[in-house]
Amino acid sequence: MANPETSGLATEMALDQNVEKSSPVKDFWRKFKKQRLALVAGVFILILVIIAIIGPVITPYSSDEPDYANVLQGPSLEHLAGTDNYGRDIFSRILEGTRISLSVGTISVLLGALIGTILGLISAFYGKWVDSIIMRICDVLFAFPGILLAIGIIAILGPSLVNVVIAISIFSIPNFARIVRSSALSIKSTVYVEATKSIGAKNRRIIWKHIFPGTISSIIVNFTMRIGTAILTAASLSFLGLGAQPPTPEWGAMLSGGRDYLSTAPHLTFYPGLAIFLTVLAFNLFGDGLRDTLDPKIKD
Amino acid sequence: MKNRYWFKLVMLLILSIIVLIGCSDAASEGEGSNTDAEDAEAQETAVKEGKDLTIAVAANFISLDPHDTNDTLSYSAEKTMLEGLVGFDKDMNVVPVLAKDYSVNDDATEFTFELEEGVTFHDGAPFNAEAVKVNLDRLTAPDSTLIRSSLFELIEETEVVDEFTVKVKLSEPFGAMINTFAHPAGMLISPQALEEYGDDVSQNPVGTGPYVFEEWQPGDHLTVTKNEDYWNATGNEVDSITFVPTPENGTRVAMLQTGEADFIYPVPTEQAESINGTEGIIVENAQSIVVYYLAMNNLKEPFNDVRVRQAINYAINKEAFIEVVNNGFASPLDSIIAPDTQFYSGQSPYEYDVEKAKELLVEAGYEDGFNTTVWGANSSTAMNAMEFIQQQLAQINIELEVVPMESGTLSDSIWSVENPEDAEMEMYYGGWSPSTGDADWGIRPLVGGEDAYPPNSYNTAYYNNDEVNSLIADGLATGDPSEREQAYADVQEVIWEEAPWAFLTVDDTIFGKKNYLEGIYLLPDGSLSVENLEIVQ
Repeated sequence: MANPETSGLATEMALDQNVEKSSPVKDFWRKFKKQRLALVAGVFILILVIIAIIGPVITPYSSDEPDYANVLQGPSLEHLAGTDNYGRDIFSRILEGTRISLSVGTISVLLGALIGTILGLISAFYGKWVDSIIMRICDVLFAFPGILLAIGIIAILGPSLVNVVIAISIFSIPNFARIVRSSALSIKSTVYVEATKSIGAKNRRIIWKHIFPGTISSIIVNFTMRIGTAILTAASLSFLGLGAQPPTPEWGAMLSGGRDYLSTAPHLTFYPGLAIFLTVLAFNLFGDGLRDTLDPKIKD
Repeated sequence: MKNRYWFKLVMLLILSIIVLIGCSDAASEGEGSNTDAEDAEAQETAVKEGKDLTIAVAANFISLDPHDTNDTLSYSAEKTMLEGLVGFDKDMNVVPVLAKDYSVNDDATEFTFELEEGVTFHDGAPFNAEAVKVNLDRLTAPDSTLIRSSLFELIEETEVVDEFTVKVKLSEPFGAMINTFAHPAGMLISPQALEEYGDDVSQNPVGTGPYVFEEWQPGDHLTVTKNEDYWNATGNEVDSITFVPTPENGTRVAMLQTGEADFIYPVPTEQAESINGTEGIIVENAQSIVVYYLAMNNLKEPFNDVRVRQAINYAINKEAFIEVVNNGFASPLDSIIAPDTQFYSGQSPYEYDVEKAKELLVEAGYEDGFNTTVWGANSSTAMNAMEFIQQQLAQINIELEVVPMESGTLSDSIWSVENPEDAEMEMYYGGWSPSTGDADWGIRPLVGGEDAYPPNSYNTAYYNNDEVNSLIADGLATGDPSEREQAYADVQEVIWEEAPWAFLTVDDTIFGKKNYLEGIYLLPDGSLSVENLEIVQ
């Protein structure tokens, strides 16, 4: 197991120590820019992030200002994506929803990654019963379909956006724990870790200075991929009425509110659906690109 | 591999464009056909093969025992098979059915019914005074656990005068009793079947109606077939009627469009206009007696101040509410009961006036507004309504939190209250259909003082006003219509001024049918009437 991975590990080590002449960042960029699709996705995500930050400044209308004289208007120059059943501008609401979806996606995965990584590292490093316990807990969590687990957690905590974040982070934990554990395991058995151990380094130092850096690339890839899933889950939960509550312009909640008008005013659901679709697609493509770039097994 | 990605992306873009174009087309088509009522009339009659009808309804039937039913939908099915002594016509007036005639004494304590002769139940048992007595005795038995026993609890004795005359004596005067007999809960079951099936009669209804029970598979379908020996036959009865519960709005509409169903109700309001006049479909709507309101907990601050309650009434734009929530299929509520309810008396509406609402709040000492919550069902209509109210109240700085609940949770939260002061409810959005068609049942359970507080009854506003309570009692104590009318006119005026609720809407009943159907309609209480049904080709 260890042998075929050493070349990749060398690159990652370089990333950590930053001593080689060809900088790993440059190396990464050289490979990554060949992934055209991932680049496009990356630019799209960048735009989303900008919208999320400056959103309220650029929205043409206020997202929760009803206009009962103009309900259910189709897309026009005045209302780019039309208006909903309260006469609110859907385009403005989607722009404001970007902030919610991105932050829910990022924060929940960040939390999940943080806890999952720590658990994964501990599990891999100490092994034995610690490993067994952590991994069995993860197995239990894995046994639930993600969305079902999230619904269960929200049933306990009560419906709100904060609880959606908690629910998603909980079901992201085992994912990260497993991935981190498996790459940490292979690093643990390398010669340089053995060497560090033998010169008497403390466990904490070995884990953080020598094993953790080797797992970063897999964490980043998984992180990006999970954000897509997290956004989708948050939207699903809001669609079911378990997440964002009205009048929050969350994309899933918008879908839910518009579903009665599916046959008469499809733009109510089409544009929020498109926003979810494109965002999740972008994160997945971006994650794919990162994986292709960072995975040492894939050679260019 | 990358080429394939690009290909997919381009295909996706094309697909989105096609969908977009498709959308705008559908929208403009809808607009074209919606306003023309003549269109619906002018279209050619659709072709119906055979005389078997299918009716798609929105929910499952719960029981087929009228004495143990409390949902209007189950009553709709029961009414094809069973009949009462009296019933309601299209406008909720009491009309004779199995009783040819009836009379009431001046105190409203004795009701005498002259029965139709020569009527038999589906199982051959004769319909006579004894059969009526068996049914009423079943309802008034002291150990009865039937849901509808409470409606008939005032009956002291049912007396068989002769074979076709029956006299019902009440323990105290009750002016609205004849409406109670007309309530579908007063429909009569064959005494023979009651004996044979006991409480299982809810799966085996045997009545005198135009259709005979065939089979019921709960959740799937319920079929009734023509009663060949129907006493009051019009000759136009169809061979069979099958009810198919179809909760999904879109499916129900599709069933009507494809001809799989001949009649559907309710029609989702947002699609009503776009399907009317197409494919032989006629959508009809009429004002119901179902009122929708926003109850405010009168025991709690700030709703214990009448100015706050009035302010909320002024702050809600009822016309816009109807457009946004009901797509136009409703009317503003201008009393505590709907116009088709007996003894209704209209009040001058709380006109939409944000400034006035703000002034009232300032007077009451809430110039900065306040925060509160509203509870309601989690159906999309209820959620739309609550979100709309949230937007309206935001204008007068009332920050409203919308809490939609699943129906079990909702009724638990509202009706499992031990002590009125502990009730957590602040506001509640709900509806009420007084199926007796009488003012009493539209007022007393909802605002009738302490006796009506949850869990006993439906006074979710915890409204207790001595004047109102005594007027309600006055209305019941007599059988004289003019005295009752006066009492209810007074009580409606007081309640309107006191505003224990924000008064919202009277909903329309709305159904869709193929244009070969005649004589089938919904009563104002939302139940279905098929007595005069015929297929016209």
